Amino acid sequence: MPMTNSTPRDLFPGALEMMILESLRRQPAHGYALVQHIQQRSNNLLQVEEGSLYPALQRLLKARLVKAEWGISSTNRRVRTYQITAAGLEHLEQQISSFERMFEGIALVLNPGRTPAR
Amino acid sequence: MSWFSRIFRRANIYSDLVEEMRLHLEERTEQLMREGMSRNEAEQAARRAFGNRTVIEERSREIWQWPTFESIWADVRYALRQLKNSPGFSITVILSLTLGLGANTTIFTFVNALLLRPPAVADAGYVVEVMEHNAKASGIEAYMPFSYLGYVNLRDHNHTLSGFAAFDGDPRTVSWSHDGQGQMVFGQLVSSNFFSVLGVTPSLGRFFQTDEDKSGPGAPTAVISYSFWRHQLGGDRSVIGRALVFNGASYTVVGVSPRAFTGILIGSQPDFWTTLAMTPTLIHDPDRMGSDTSYWLLGIGRLKPGVLKNEAQADLTVLTRSTHSSNPHEAVLDASAFPVQLVPSPFRGYVAAFTGLLMAAVGLVLLIACANAANLVLARATTRRRELAVRSALGASRFRIIRQALTESLMLSMMGGAGGLLLAYWSIPALLSLKPATIPVSVEAPLDWRVFAFAFAASFLSGIAFGVVPALRSTRRDLLPALKDERQLAGPRRSRLRSSIVVAQITVCLVLLISAGLCVQSLFNARSIDPGFSTHNIAVAHLDPGSLGYTESRDRQFYQQLLERVRALPGVSAASLSGYLPLGTSRSIQGVQIDGFTPPPGQDGILVQVAYVAPDFFNTMGIPVLNGREFLPEDMHPGSTGIIVNQAMAAHFWPGRNPIGQQFKNGKEAAEIVGVVKTGKYRSLSENPLDFMYLPLGSQPQKYLVVRTRAGEEATLGEIRRVIQSLDPNVVPMEMESISQYMALPLFAAHTTGLLLAIFGSVALLLATIGLSGVVSYSVSQRTNEIGVRMALGADRLDVVKLILKQGMRLTAIGILCGLVLSFAATRILAGLLYGIKPGDPLTFVAVSLFLATVAFLSCYVPARRAASVDPMKSLRAE
Repeated sequence: MPMTNSTPRDLFPGALEMMILESLRRQPAHGYALVQHIQQRSNNLLQVEEGSLYPALQRLLKARLVKAEWGISSTNRRVRTYQITAAGLEHLEQQISSFERMFEGIALVLNPGRTPAR
Repeated sequence: MSWFSRIFRRANIYSDLVEEMRLHLEERTEQLMREGMSRNEAEQAARRAFGNRTVIEERSREIWQWPTFESIWADVRYALRQLKNSPGFSITVILSLTLGLGANTTIFTFVNALLLRPPAVADAGYVVEVMEHNAKASGIEAYMPFSYLGYVNLRDHNHTLSGFAAFDGDPRTVSWSHDGQGQMVFGQLVSSNFFSVLGVTPSLGRFFQTDEDKSGPGAPTAVISYSFWRHQLGGDRSVIGRALVFNGASYTVVGVSPRAFTGILIGSQPDFWTTLAMTPTLIHDPDRMGSDTSYWLLGIGRLKPGVLKNEAQADLTVLTRSTHSSNPHEAVLDASAFPVQLVPSPFRGYVAAFTGLLMAAVGLVLLIACANAANLVLARATTRRRELAVRSALGASRFRIIRQALTESLMLSMMGGAGGLLLAYWSIPALLSLKPATIPVSVEAPLDWRVFAFAFAASFLSGIAFGVVPALRSTRRDLLPALKDERQLAGPRRSRLRSSIVVAQITVCLVLLISAGLCVQSLFNARSIDPGFSTHNIAVAHLDPGSLGYTESRDRQFYQQLLERVRALPGVSAASLSGYLPLGTSRSIQGVQIDGFTPPPGQDGILVQVAYVAPDFFNTMGIPVLNGREFLPEDMHPGSTGIIVNQAMAAHFWPGRNPIGQQFKNGKEAAEIVGVVKTGKYRSLSENPLDFMYLPLGSQPQKYLVVRTRAGEEATLGEIRRVIQSLDPNVVPMEMESISQYMALPLFAAHTTGLLLAIFGSVALLLATIGLSGVVSYSVSQRTNEIGVRMALGADRLDVVKLILKQGMRLTAIGILCGLVLSFAATRILAGLLYGIKPGDPLTFVAVSLFLATVAFLSCYVPARRAASVDPMKSLRAE
C-alpha cells in the first residue's frame, strides 16, 4: 500500500464523539449523513473510517447524550436518525471549552515566544 | 433503565446496529454507483471505506456489556469445557487442592472461633474487659479478677465509663431439679447491668432491672440462654414467669437471651444468668459478697463517647490502687482494660501460638498441593501447545490467552476450595470431639462469613499461584513449531522449572513429616509416662452436695453412706474420697517449716504442694506406699497430726534418714510423717519431680469419689450413678468418668498436635508422591524417542530403569537435603510441645528421611518400569 496519507488516522479519545455532537447540534442526522458531514466540514483532512462512527454512537447512546429513532429520510430511505439531548448539549459545551483550553496550552508549549491573544 | 431491563434490551440494540450498518453500506454503494462505479466495485469500495464490520460490531457491543463480565463468563464456560475434556487431570488437581484448602479452612475455622469472631454485643469496639493487673508479675499470673467491693468502688466512682458491669469468671456447675431429679447446668452470676452494658436485647421477656443485684435475696430471678430455652424447655414461649429450681432455690424466669449471645468468653456458655445478689443462694458462700480478699469478678465497661481505652484504664487504675491502699501487704495492683474478645488479651498469645503452629503446618500442605497443581498444569500446557498456538494465530492476544489460562486454574482452585469447605464442614465436628468430653466447656466453631471469605481468598490466591507461571510460559513460545506439531524436545528450562517444583515439594514434605514424626513420638512418650497412679480400672465422680445447701453433718452422712454402698457394689475392691486428683486443674500450696531449712526471704515457710485425701486413697488409686502406712480413719479426726509425703519430699528434706516419725510445722499445725508414697506427676506430665504432701481430708463438701473396680469402669459408673440417685436425686455429679477418660485432659495438647500433624504429614506425603511420580512419568513420555534410540543401540532394560530412577532420586536427594536443613530450624518451634524428645532428634531425622526416600523410590519405579517396556521399533517409527 503506498504511503500517501501521512495524517494519523487516530484521533484523540473523545474527538469523534465531540464532532458527532457538534454536527447533531446543528441538525439531527443518521449515521451515513454524519460521516458525510464530518468529512466535508474537515475538507477531508480527517480520514475517519466510516464504521468507527458506530461504536462512538453507541457510547453516546449509552451515556444518553443522544437519542435515536427509526424513520424515513427526505430521500425516502429507512434511516435511524440521531438527535442530541439536553445532556448532550451540556456535555458538548464542557468538552469544547476543555478542548480549547487544552489546545491553547499545547500551542503555548509549541510556540513559547507567543503570548496568548487575550 | 435498570440493569435488568437492559439485559433484555440488548438483543434489540444489537439488531438495530446490524441493520443500521447494513443500510449505511447500501447507501454508500448507491452513492458510488451514481458516481459511475459498477455494483461490484461500489460494494467493495463501500466496505473498504467502512472498515472491518465484525470488529466494529464487536466494539459496539462491548460498549453495552459490563466491561468484562460477559467475556469472563465466556472464559469460564470454555474453561469448564476444557476441564471436562480431561477429567483425570481435573480430578487430580481438584483433589490435591481440596486436601490443601480443606486443611487450611478447618484450622482457620478454629482461629476464627477463638481469635477473630467478636462476641455478640452491641458496638463491641466501645466495650472493654477490665481486670486487676500486677505490674510486677508476668504472663497470665499477673491478671486477677476483682473482689465484689473492689468492683463496686470502680462502678460507683469511675469517670470514663457509661456503665461498668461484672460477672463471675467461672461458670458455676449448678444442679437443676426438675421432674424429680437433678441435671447439671451452667449458671453465671452477673451484675444487674450486665446485659445493658453489653447492649444486648432479650429475645423474650426482659433482662435484669438496675437494682436487682442490690436488694439482697428477694425473689430470685434468672435469664435463660436461647439454647437452654430451645433444647431444655422446648422453646415454650410461656416460659416467662415460670419457676426453675437451681441448687435447691426457686428462680423466676424473666427473660431469654438472644440466640447469637452465648456469653463473652469462649468456652463458657452459661445456661442461665442470675444477679450477684443471688451469690449466697447459688453458691452457698455467704461471705463472698462482703469479702475484699476473694477475687472472682471480671469487669466489663462501656466507654463514654470520646473516651479512649487508655484513659479509662488510667482512671480505673487510680481507683483500684485506692481500693488496695488500706492493705499495705498487698502487691500494687493496677487496672488493665482490653477490648472485649472471646479469648481475652492475656490468653491470646498462647492461643495464637498454638493455632499459629497449626496454620503454619496446613500452610505447608497447601504449598505442596499448589506445587502439585502447578506441575500438572505445566505438563498439560505442553500437550495443549497446538490449541494455544491456533488460538493466538487466529488473533487472540497474549493477555487474552493468559486470562483464559488463569480462568482455568481459578475454576480448579474454586472447586478445590468448595471441596475444602465441605471437608472442613465434616472434619470440624470430628476435631471438636477430640476435646475431652469431661472438660466442662463447650466450644463453637461456626462456618461464618469470615471462614467463607478465607476459603475464597485462599482458593483465589492458590489459583493465581499455581496458574500464573504456566500461563506465562505457555504464551512465550514460537508459534510455528507448535502449529506444525513438531515435538518440542523437553527444553532444559521447562524441565528445570518442574524439577525445582518437585524439589520444593519434597523439601516441604520432609519438614512436615519430621515435625509429625516428633509429635507422634512425643505423644507415645507422653502416654507411656508413669503418672504415679494406676490409669486403669478406676472410676471417678466429682460431687458437690454443698451446692444444694447441705449442712456439714448432712454432708458427712451423705459421703459416709455413699462410700458404704459403693464399696458393696459388685466388682468394687476399694473406694475412697479426696479433695484433689493429680493432673487436674486445681492446686493448693502450703508453707511448711522444717528444721535445718530456711524459707526464701519474705515467706513464712517453704512452699509445698498439698492435697487432702481420705483413708484408702492410695490403695484405690494404685499409688504405692513405699514406707510407713496409708491414712487410717483415726487420722481424719481433728487434732491428729499424721501426714504423708512423697518420696521426692522425703529425699529433699530428710536425706539418708528414715522419714517416718519426722516432725515439722505445717503452717502453725504440728505434723508427723506416717507414710511415704511414690512420687508421681501432679501438675503436668512433663514436670520434674515435685515435693508433695497429703493431709487428711477435711469437711469441704466438694469431693472426688474414686473407685477401684474389676467390673468395668462404665458399668461401675452406672451403678454409682444409681447409688447417688437413691441417696439424693438432686445431687448431680459434676463429672463422672473412667480414669482413662480423665487422662485425656493432660494428654490433650500432645494428642491433638500429634494427631493433626500426623494427618497433615500423610497428606503432604501423598501429594508429594503424586507430584514426583507425575514429573518422572512426564519425562518418560517426553523421552520415549531417546529411550528407543538407546535401546536400539544396545541399552538393556535395566539401564533404562536406572536412567529414569537416577533422575527421580537426584531430585529426591536435593529435596531431602534442603528439607533436613529447614527442619532443623522449623522444629525448634515445637520444643514446648514435645515430651521426652528433642526437636533435633537425629534418629527421627534419619528415619523420616529414609522413609521419604523409599516412598520416592517406589513412586519413580513405576514410570521407570514403563519406560523400560518401550518397544524401540515402535517409538522410532512414531517419529
